[in-house]
Amino acid sequence: MSANIEETKEQALADFAAFINPMKVRTLKSAGIDIIEGRREGACVWDLTGKRYIDCQTGSGIMNVGRRNREIVEALKEALDHYDIGVFLLCSKPKADLAKKLAEITPGDLKCSLFGVGGGESVDAAIKIARGYTMKKEIIYAEKAYHGHTGFALSAIGRSAYKEPFEPLMPGFRMVPFGDVEAIRKTINDDTAAVLLETIQGEGGINIPPDGYLSEVRRLCDESETLLILDEIQTGFARTGRMFACEHWGVVPDIMTLAKSLGGGIYPISATVFTEEIQDFFIPHPFIHLSTFGGSDLGCLVGLATIDYIQRHRLAEHALEMGKRFQSGFDRFLKDYPELLIEVRQKGLMMGLQYTNESIGPRMTKKLAERGVLAVYTGNDPSICRLMPPLVILPEEVDAVLEALDGAMKELSGEKGIGIDD
Amino acid sequence: MASSDEILEALADYQIQCNENKRLRRMQRDWSRLLHFVADDTGDIFTMDVVKGEIVSFTGGTQGTPDIIVTTQSENLCDMFWGDLNPTRKYLAGEIRVKASQEDVIRLDAITMIIWPDV
Repeated sequence: MSANIEETKEQALADFAAFINPMKVRTLKSAGIDIIEGRREGACVWDLTGKRYIDCQTGSGIMNVGRRNREIVEALKEALDHYDIGVFLLCSKPKADLAKKLAEITPGDLKCSLFGVGGGESVDAAIKIARGYTMKKEIIYAEKAYHGHTGFALSAIGRSAYKEPFEPLMPGFRMVPFGDVEAIRKTINDDTAAVLLETIQGEGGINIPPDGYLSEVRRLCDESETLLILDEIQTGFARTGRMFACEHWGVVPDIMTLAKSLGGGIYPISATVFTEEIQDFFIPHPFIHLSTFGGSDLGCLVGLATIDYIQRHRLAEHALEMGKRFQSGFDRFLKDYPELLIEVRQKGLMMGLQYTNESIGPRMTKKLAERGVLAVYTGNDPSICRLMPPLVILPEEVDAVLEALDGAMKELSGEKGIGIDD
Repeated sequence: MASSDEILEALADYQIQCNENKRLRRMQRDWSRLLHFVADDTGDIFTMDVVKGEIVSFTGGTQGTPDIIVTTQSENLCDMFWGDLNPTRKYLAGEIRVKASQEDVIRLDAITMIIWPDV
């Protein structure tokens, strides 16, 4: 590595610290992931210094089609030859085309879309629609939930540390344990507008709902004329082996929130998808929720190219196949490292390794980075190492991640502070 | 190995450094915690009470129910209070164990960063 590259990297980190966030730089440096992203391709990203990492972090699921996917890049270049962001007040063909495509690929009678820029915005919109449509106020959400850091979405985060400095938040939000039908049954009342759940909790620690949970919640919502909002921001677009995770349990929400991989890792876009019946709310209020950059023409064309890529390359099937390859390694680790690894939670390529205590996630992050794997613990539970690689990951790259995990856990097994009580 | 008196001396200096740093006090004013520091090689335990970012007291022995327990070798405790080590690096190496939320772990490191930016 030339001194020049090292200087460039250090300057970028120094400028980031000076002008953006010094504690972030310090923490990432300590964790060994003070990476300045350079080349990106397939399942990998290269630090400016040239060190390669297999990216299992992927912005928590932005990169389902891989890093800097050439087809998506070309789609954006092509779009730029003809379009700009577009004027949000007007109708546009790319918006209409993407909405039509989302109606085609989402389950059941989900049909209409409201576009935004990011996931939090799509959840904000979902909550507004639920309140507006039902004329009811309360939102039930889950412990350890994560739906974004924006206004309404922040009120539905199941971790107080993200919320306390900004209180008072939106009123009418009621938290229940995830996976507990009885808790929802007891909490739903005549003023409940919606139950908001991630189909599989991401930041909460890759928490997969017990079989029957979502269908029972669906039934409770139907009985009480409450809407069911499923957040598929991390789980959507083939991540779990189906286009949307709710398909594993045959449950169709009234409103689904989508973001992250809809933009193909290239252009930010999100969507709130809902039924035609709910669309009725917008008939007397056609301009009640607007987003200047939401559903830009460029973003919609990227979204269309991304969905096309996922379908043509059968990424859902590939996610299942690679998931099984990971699983065989995890089964071995559970036997080899019982003092460290308690449980593995997995659906396709949405994977969480449950360690014994909260220090292990950060420590594993560092050891994995040393071994060329970028993987970070979940935001609401640091005892869980989250693995969400691009769905285009190759078998040999899966093996390399498993080898890195094996080496990291072997090393960690010899250190202090790995017990449940530490 | 550091003696109890050496750690208390370092703690006294740490208290001054923290409490006299206006920037640190301002950013920590929403942080009140009772901390126990455990030297696992000597068995010494120290209690520190932080109220709205101010270290209001520290003492040898345990008092109250801690929000945060920091366990490490006595020498590391001394070095940490004198600003001679990066707590997060030691934490990630398993040499300092912290029973606390990740937010509190970062808070402890933030104190070091503000007082001793080069550590």
